[in-house]
Amino acid sequence: MKIGIVGKGGVGKTTTSALLCQVYARRGQRVLAVDTDSNPNLALSLGLSPDDADRVPVLPRSLVVGTGNGAITPADLLRDYGVATPSSVTLLNAMAITQAGAG
Amino acid sequence: MRSLLGAAIEEEADVTLVDMEAGLEHLSRSGGTLAYADVLLMIMEPSRKSILTAGRTIALAHELGIPLVYGVGNKARMPEDKEFFESVAAEYNVPLAGIIPHDPDVIEADRSGENMSLEQGLPVRQAVDAIVAFVDKAIAGENPGQAEREALLKERERVDKRLAELSAE
Repeated sequence: MKIGIVGKGGVGKTTTSALLCQVYARRGQRVLAVDTDSNPNLALSLGLSPDDADRVPVLPRSLVVGTGNGAITPADLLRDYGVATPSSVTLLNAMAITQAGAG
Repeated sequence: MRSLLGAAIEEEADVTLVDMEAGLEHLSRSGGTLAYADVLLMIMEPSRKSILTAGRTIALAHELGIPLVYGVGNKARMPEDKEFFESVAAEYNVPLAGIIPHDPDVIEADRSGENMSLEQGLPVRQAVDAIVAFVDKAIAGENPGQAEREALLKERERVDKRLAELSAE
């Protein structure tokens, strides 16, 4: 199941996202959180330190948009770019999708 | 097309949550599958400003074929806030998945940069639990009035399409 969280800036998207992820994780489900923000706010809300948050690798735009053409499997993607957080939620940083020229 | 972050990722994750900070419009224009979701939660606070783009977001969600779109009221302090969220939900014709109370623990956590402990923010956590329960039921198609609502939306889509065809003839 995929859940999207939208809303204007400042309404509490990131905090709500983190709390929702934690509920699913506590139920024992495998949870993947995808951040599309250039600030590592979700990483912090999921319990990473600011230093660790800065080190979350950025998913290349080609992998966000494309199919990977079979060169990479979802398991590879999570191994190479996913970061485990103290909330037992795996985090992906897809901020490349929002960078200048990406649109 | 089996995109990596689309259906394929479900082999590895039971729940994929996308914090669409970039906005649904941007994500869809970027051409990725990140714009698609089974459930879209539109977070609002008790201010008109927070729902300025709600209409466009909902229309785009329908275009993208996102089947379940719900509002979530956040930072509710008083009964008037609950009424505000209910009136907005009625105005835009999106059911509310839940209302999260204003909580000093959350504000404090934001201020300090520390995370809330599990003992903190209990009212907020209860509200989020209730939202997850609502989403569970929505996925299972079990929320009151949901089947009728979905049938009506489908019917409206058919009527709109047919009206457009007739005016084009």
